Amino acid sequence: MPEARAADDTESLPGASSVRYEGATKRYGGSDRLAVDHLTLEVPAGEICVLVGPSGCGKTTAMRMVNRTVEMTEGDILIGGSSVREREPAQLRREIGYVIQQIGLFPHRTISENIGAVPDLLGWRKDRTEARSAELLALIGLDPELGDRYPVQLSGGQQQRVGVARALAADPLVMLMDEPFGAIDPINREHLQNEFLRLQAQVRKTVLFVTHDIDEAIKMGDRIAIMREGGKLEQYATPAEVLMAPATEFVEDFVGADRALKRLALMRVSDISLWEAPLAYVGQPTAEVRAKLDRDDVEVPYPLLVDAERRPLGWLSERDLGADTVPRQPDSPLGPLLELDDVMRDALADLLQGEAQYAAAVDHEGRIAGVLSVEIISEFLKSPRAKSDEHSAVERPHD
Amino acid sequence: MTSPALLAAVGEVGKGFIQERSSDTLPCQADSSKLFCFDWARENIGRYATPTLQQLELVVISVLIGFAIAFALSVFAHRHAWARPPLLAGTGILFAIPSIAFFLLLLPITGRGRETAIIALSAYTLQIIYRNVMVGLANVPDSVRDAARGMGLTDRQILWKVELPLATPEIVAGLRIATVSTVAIATLAVFAGGGGLGTQIYGGGNLSFTTSIIIAGAIAIFMALSFDVILLAIQRLATPWRRAAAA
Repeated sequence: MPEARAADDTESLPGASSVRYEGATKRYGGSDRLAVDHLTLEVPAGEICVLVGPSGCGKTTAMRMVNRTVEMTEGDILIGGSSVREREPAQLRREIGYVIQQIGLFPHRTISENIGAVPDLLGWRKDRTEARSAELLALIGLDPELGDRYPVQLSGGQQQRVGVARALAADPLVMLMDEPFGAIDPINREHLQNEFLRLQAQVRKTVLFVTHDIDEAIKMGDRIAIMREGGKLEQYATPAEVLMAPATEFVEDFVGADRALKRLALMRVSDISLWEAPLAYVGQPTAEVRAKLDRDDVEVPYPLLVDAERRPLGWLSERDLGADTVPRQPDSPLGPLLELDDVMRDALADLLQGEAQYAAAVDHEGRIAGVLSVEIISEFLKSPRAKSDEHSAVERPHD
Repeated sequence: MTSPALLAAVGEVGKGFIQERSSDTLPCQADSSKLFCFDWARENIGRYATPTLQQLELVVISVLIGFAIAFALSVFAHRHAWARPPLLAGTGILFAIPSIAFFLLLLPITGRGRETAIIALSAYTLQIIYRNVMVGLANVPDSVRDAARGMGLTDRQILWKVELPLATPEIVAGLRIATVSTVAIATLAVFAGGGGLGTQIYGGGNLSFTTSIIIAGAIAIFMALSFDVILLAIQRLATPWRRAAAA
């Protein structure tokens, strides 16, 4: 999770602007109830602010007031210090990336044309737009050949990636994302979330992200704005602070009783000390492997078979070790494979889903970095370290 | 409305026709139990060229005019919801007028001739095309419209770059129905003095001579099918994304 930066460089970054709500209010014609009630908050440039709350809390309305797809009734919103009210709406929107749950790709345009839609509106030359489309396809990890396909030929996950690429095409100062991963199945959603966080680490946009899912908010947000019915802001803080010190009873209820578990969403696999597995190479004499297992300080009781590049292949069983040399095919499959960048909560989910005690964790090159076990996680949750980590997170200066 | 007017109209159209035919009567032509007289068809096929071209002209011009008007009405109604019920009712009434009555009712206003026929034929296409364009626009997913607006397309750009291209299949479907039915109705243009294949069907008021009716009918059917196939081909060329979906 990116560190909160000091305020003096939050007005603008190259390619991102701060977003400041100043008493922004939305009242729908004729009714007394407010959809958004005098919302005041500032999102520093380059950070992800998640607007979260139950349905009807006004989070989407609050987001849409930024690009004026919903016009506010009172108050103002400033992007990089200048009011959105003074801008011509269509012009304003071309500087703001827009991603929605239903994706809304243009069915009659190819993937490349979809990505190039805003550059097209801005009058970019054709070759520049095409180059940008290709660059973004690569950035979101799609095969360049998919550029000539139509949206209907892509999977839901691929379409959502294209939706993000399309929003980034003209290098917007701000991105609005309305439940962008809400319609994706849980496994792919996790992938897309991780991908987006990696992407965000590179592009550093100011993002307003709407979700009703507090877990997603904790995972994605540098800051979380928790809203409740009537468009009231209950708490605006870092995820750690929301978990450790809910400002109101509403926030406490909304965050839920499993706050301890949710803290796992704030950590990555690389943040915890992993166990070391005894490594075995194909063709190695099994006696050598047995010797490693017999050492007193062994943490994982099974040898992990790796290739010459130290990439994990599978776990060796007692039967495998009965042979003279380590076999090419391990007896037990590898099971869940984690990356150091994975969020701990997802890693735990993978362990539970795979009904595995241990999971190999690899670095960016796919080489073994250590082994995560259910035991490590439960020890961590019980330990005072978990608490002290949280406190330091809360006290981290972000003003 | 049985019709001195109708009979008068038919009679007038057919005058030349009767004279021509009586000058040289073939054996099978005289035998009214024969449905089709090949000898006559062979000798007289040339006389269908001009009516066929007239018919073609009537259809193309009427559908183009009808399309232009219906399209403009749909775009207006798409922006202004209040205009939809009156437009639907208005085009519906035009569509419901019996065809021959329509041609004859126009005669005192616009006189005999091709223009009168075109006015009536265009009026018939309005309802079909208008409804189809409206359905096509309504079928555009809201999410696509929302995304387009959020990305900074103006209302006009959304209409021309997103909504109308996506409505192409419905619009062309409307054109196909309108064109095929105009081919059929245009055979009645003869009652307004508009020429066309009707001259060979109702010509002379001698409706018992079936050979001529069959030939003219076959040409009309062939014309309708050809238009249909051409428009279908245009639709497929214009909507490559739909082929991608089917593949």
